Amino acid sequence: MTWYDSFLQQLVDGLVLGSFYALVALGYTMVFGVIKLLNFAHGDLYMTGAFAGFGGLSLVSGFLGAGWLGIFVAMLLAMLAVGCLGVVIERVAYHPMLAAPRLSILITALAVSLVLQNAALSLTGGQYTAFRTDLGFGGFNLGNLFLSYNQIVLVATAAVLMIALELFVSRTLYGRAMRAVSIDKDMCRMMGINVSAVIAVTFFIGSGLAAAAGTMAGAYYGSIWYFMGFLIGLKAFTAAVIGGIGSITGAMLGGLILGLLESFGTHIPFIGSEWKDVFTFSILILVLVFKPTGLLGKSEVERM
Amino acid sequence: MNKILSLIASAAVINLAAGSLAMAQDGPITIGVQVPTTGSEATYGKDMLNAVTLSANEINADGGLLDGRQIQLVTGDTACDPQQSVNAASRLASRQVVGVVGGYCSGATQPTLKTYGDANIPFVIVAANSTQLIPANPGNAFMINSTGADQAKTAVDFFEGKGIEKVAIVNQGDAYSQDLANLTRDAWTEAGHTVSAFEYVNKGEQDFSALVNKIRSSGAEAVFWTAYYADGGLLIRQLRQRGFQGTIAVGDGSNSPELFNIAGQAAEGVFAFSNPTADFLPAAKQFIGDYQTEFGNAPGPYAPLAYDGMQLMAWAIDKAGSTDSDAIIEALASADDQEWLAGPISFTPQHTLARSNFVVLEGQDGKWIRYEE
Amino acid sequence: MANRTPTLREDIPRGNVFQRFYASFESPGRRRALHALIVALLIVTPWISSQYVTVILTNALLYVVLCLGLNVVVGYAGLLDLGYAAFFAVGAYTVGILTQQFGINFWAAIPFALLAAAIAGVIIGGPTLRLRSDYLAIVTLGFGEIVRFTARNLEITGGASGLSHIPEPSLFGWQIDSSIDFYYVFALLAVLAYIASQRLFDSRLGRAWLYVRHDEDAAEAMGINRVATKLAAYVIGAIFGAIGGIFFSVNLGAISPESFSFQQSVLILLAVVLGGMGKIPGVILGAFIVVLGPELLRDFDTLRLLIFAVLLLLIMLFRPSGIWPEKRS
Repeated sequence: MTWYDSFLQQLVDGLVLGSFYALVALGYTMVFGVIKLLNFAHGDLYMTGAFAGFGGLSLVSGFLGAGWLGIFVAMLLAMLAVGCLGVVIERVAYHPMLAAPRLSILITALAVSLVLQNAALSLTGGQYTAFRTDLGFGGFNLGNLFLSYNQIVLVATAAVLMIALELFVSRTLYGRAMRAVSIDKDMCRMMGINVSAVIAVTFFIGSGLAAAAGTMAGAYYGSIWYFMGFLIGLKAFTAAVIGGIGSITGAMLGGLILGLLESFGTHIPFIGSEWKDVFTFSILILVLVFKPTGLLGKSEVERM
Repeated sequence: MNKILSLIASAAVINLAAGSLAMAQDGPITIGVQVPTTGSEATYGKDMLNAVTLSANEINADGGLLDGRQIQLVTGDTACDPQQSVNAASRLASRQVVGVVGGYCSGATQPTLKTYGDANIPFVIVAANSTQLIPANPGNAFMINSTGADQAKTAVDFFEGKGIEKVAIVNQGDAYSQDLANLTRDAWTEAGHTVSAFEYVNKGEQDFSALVNKIRSSGAEAVFWTAYYADGGLLIRQLRQRGFQGTIAVGDGSNSPELFNIAGQAAEGVFAFSNPTADFLPAAKQFIGDYQTEFGNAPGPYAPLAYDGMQLMAWAIDKAGSTDSDAIIEALASADDQEWLAGPISFTPQHTLARSNFVVLEGQDGKWIRYEE
Repeated sequence: MANRTPTLREDIPRGNVFQRFYASFESPGRRRALHALIVALLIVTPWISSQYVTVILTNALLYVVLCLGLNVVVGYAGLLDLGYAAFFAVGAYTVGILTQQFGINFWAAIPFALLAAAIAGVIIGGPTLRLRSDYLAIVTLGFGEIVRFTARNLEITGGASGLSHIPEPSLFGWQIDSSIDFYYVFALLAVLAYIASQRLFDSRLGRAWLYVRHDEDAAEAMGINRVATKLAAYVIGAIFGAIGGIFFSVNLGAISPESFSFQQSVLILLAVVLGGMGKIPGVILGAFIVVLGPELLRDFDTLRLLIFAVLLLLIMLFRPSGIWPEKRS
């Protein structure tokens, strides 16, 4: 491969990886926007989504097959199920804590994350579950550049979901309410906005997007396990922070940037792939310390 | 105050659990089984425990050891975690076990060597094979699986046999796979060949696309994955998906049939270096049948070695003529190439297996078959 | 965002059985008697219990030290640290490297380990303590992972296999090597950590933490240097962690990166939260629960972790200040 081909290949791969990060990052950023909570359990909702998608696929594969159609239906089922789970989590665990000190709600979020993880651990015995599909390895070559059909479908699905979200937030009534709530909850209450309902919708959408990403990841990579949400949760958070937490466009942008950084980061000379995650976490820390508002976030002075 | 409560509670409950020690001279002989029965490696651990149980049951049915004393097994779950291993090991030591059989994850086995060394308990390590274990052995432990150094040599011979010059080595950053990767790299360079890429992946990472590109652009003719099957399956898939045409080989952590579940068709034609699994042992027909009847599934990759470990321990106790630790250790050291299920066993002065027991397997139609050059 | 007044749930005066029991020891005489009884029990226990119990209790005492250290950060200063295992690692690896690779005497290596931990505390705390609390949580998490990856990748730390053959220390001819020896070492450390925690709590710094935790702006208005106060908590916590790590490394004789994972940090935090952030006896109770709990629940296999997670969630929802919460008159 020439230098140029290799560059293009990295670019494509970075975009694929970045669209996963972006989908998960959206959930972080939306929840953060409305209740200013760093939802530690979000990565685990991605994991739960992958298992829900796996369950969904075994339900529908009988009559729809395990190709893209079956996976797509399974993905919708997983989004619905995990979306509801997200709402339940918000009602049961976070809602009662909104007035408590921030430390308490953060630890609660951590506890929810541990419950989801360990529930999956107990159910699967810690084993990897093979996510079997009928997707082939097919694709086509553009010169030396290889693009698989799976990659194209994946990026397209992610793009459609993100555009739909953007339209929802900018054009619909609920979307506007969501933005209003993220600015000032008390004022919204006075204006007659049902703040609780808006928060619930936000959790539903955020969790649903994580489930979509989880199902697609399961189908694309071919295996799922209880701990798969941890690393991607951290990285998606990094993406959300790079883009500016609270900003939806920022999350998408941050996801893509992180995907590209990781893809090219592996090729930095003299720094082996063993340092890849050190590299990612260092970016996270540097951004938080020097530009906590990220690329597109609004500055906000707050002290706990 | 809470200390008092906790101390009383813990002392009472744990002593109760660990109590009733089998000290009598004619009572059962207690053998510890140190395996991970929880955590991500639990399948291997349970499989090894089953094989040891089968082995002990057979000995007991044949009249036991030392004039009719029965073998009683106690399990110590390591969860493949160093701290939990030490807890499990000291629990076994407190129960006055005569010997210990087991050891799967090298990283978790290493700190227990000291525990058993201090208590002078004979320890037959059946699966763990990192060379890091050798200097940590106080003299009471015996490794019946060939070490990483033997596997590295098998790998070098195999790649040379295929006429390969440039190899990419990928490990998972844990004690076992890093050790094997380092050993193979050194052996391969020493033999005058090129390691075109030496890479790490993190456990649980799913996207290896950047890594695959790097391997491809490094011009590697072969890829050697030194870690476990779960992530190995993903790597193999992505290598083949992206059109890597070269040879792919995996180490003995990936010789599980599960690899085919995860990698699918991509695992066809993949080579594995493996300790002798039951399917390839002529003497193991009976064993496979018994195992299948007893536990309802086929024996896993470490079952024959675990079975042998128990048999060897029993043989040593009989030869020592008592449950005295020093006599048993001496008997183990004197093992002289007797035939066991997985082949003959005798030890080097470092208490590692004197011969290399690695075989090369090839994936065909969703299962492993013996590869003949 | 609208200003919210912090409702301090922990201030609700409600005595549970532990508190009432503890309150009956309020008089100095009784308290002294209780302390004497605890020390006597600590001394006697290894002689009346099996080696297994001794090893588990040694582990519990290690966690007492770690948890009291994290308690300074989380409980006293109110800073969520999700990478506390990093300091534990810094202590363990510094001693491991100096004694095993450079042949330096164990006791001579200790000051270096403490210094390294304090520096690590300043490096991570200095720039980040101005951040919002949830950002701080994530930064500490990232820092913890960076330390673990670094230990795994470097040659000097022994890579993924870590360091083994860390020599056992001796003190005036006493070779510390049996499990009972180490039990006494950790018992002594736990008692010292207890005394230090108590002193810190009652000190001027302890009150400064209280103000900063409850209302940063008001604290600053009263002339408390916010960042310096937090940094002090951070560095002191780091030193506690390093002390735990130092003796952990010689006790096991071998250390590897797996012992310093995110799960380790979470476990220590879990102990602090379970027992009650800020309250010393509560934190000690928490440390014993997280160590003895899994041992007692061994038969439940993987379910035991789920039980712990659910317990943590329930505690946060129904008893957010822990089983044995802080109560400062």
